[in-house]
Amino acid sequence: MRRTHRAVHRALWPALAVLVTFGVAMALVLRPPPKVEPPEAVEESQQ
Amino acid sequence: MSVGFRAVQWNRAKFVYDGILIAGVALYIGAFIAISAWIDPPEELPDWIDLRLRAFGTCAFLMLTIILSIGPLARLDRRFLPLLYNRRHFGVLTFLVAVVHAWSMVEWFAVQNALPDLVTELTTPSHYARFIGFPFKALGLAALLVLFLLAATSHDFWLFFLTPPVWKGLHMLIYPAYAVLAMHVALGAMQDNRSPLVPILLGSAFAWVAALHLIAGRRERTADRGSALADGWIAVGPPQSIPDKAARIVAAPGGERIAVFRDGGRVGALTNLCAHQNGPLGEGRIIDGCVTCPWHGFQYRLVDGRAPPPFTEVLVTYPVRLRNGIVEVDPRPLPPGTPAAISVDVG
Repeated sequence: MRRTHRAVHRALWPALAVLVTFGVAMALVLRPPPKVEPPEAVEESQQ
Repeated sequence: MSVGFRAVQWNRAKFVYDGILIAGVALYIGAFIAISAWIDPPEELPDWIDLRLRAFGTCAFLMLTIILSIGPLARLDRRFLPLLYNRRHFGVLTFLVAVVHAWSMVEWFAVQNALPDLVTELTTPSHYARFIGFPFKALGLAALLVLFLLAATSHDFWLFFLTPPVWKGLHMLIYPAYAVLAMHVALGAMQDNRSPLVPILLGSAFAWVAALHLIAGRRERTADRGSALADGWIAVGPPQSIPDKAARIVAAPGGERIAVFRDGGRVGALTNLCAHQNGPLGEGRIIDGCVTCPWHGFQYRLVDGRAPPPFTEVLVTYPVRLRNGIVEVDPRPLPPGTPAAISVDVG
């Protein structure tokens, strides 16, 4: 690797690490709650 | 190293490497499908396609994680160098696995006559303004496009056509592609699958790769700090401080690294950049009288930086002198192929 490539590599990885950590954390925090089956559907299926 | 065009320079090491790769991929996908089908048996065709989609998707992500680990691991520990030897085949196979993943996604929509839904999802501009609900498939397609570009240009033909610096710059696109892929998983599979395994595995894989690159980058920065004497020459050290049949690497202030090799009583300085892929020549050894690149075995004569006949690669050399028992190198390069090695007394 040339000096330029190493410089780009050194600048890129901290930025990627911060961006992805933030992105994944936000995706986890803002994840919608799991869908719950409505009770009516259960009753209907039992009839 | 070749004097003529050959599609692939097959040898035993490459056959073994590729054999292990293909067996590993087959084993992973087979085990993933078998175990998943045993735990939660698919009922309809779309369920089977979804299972294949997940098997190939996780396999491609795992393969990319391993590929991106090889470079910094080889920088940190020479024992990982053999993994680097045929990494391009690893990359091409990863692209093929990712293609099956993408095709499975299209097929999943097709068998349910829902392709228009897929098109709508990808082409509705307002969807791109959301975070949760962002068309994560577009992120996967972007990463797949990068993988295609890199697989298509992975051959040495493109390396020589584009020149090693441009080729290397192009192939560094794999780093942002991996980040995009991490977000593809975070906004896709992690939203649907409530298992804590998804964020744990995703976070661990990315943290592992990022940590390796940050550590390797930090070490490289230290090695790049060069200092020169008053007359511009760089002090390397006593001849004995250069390991026999190996090199000490010095950095020219603001310039490229120089590999100062010693072969018995002969000392010579070459650029640290191999002519093939700009591999770290100074981390190689002198084998059969030639400086040998640790990445793919390209060889050069220490005396003048020329590859032994019939090969034609040539490197720049640097003037070397012995002053007050210290080997010094002039960081101003000589024209490629200029003899510059000197004889020294190593006692």
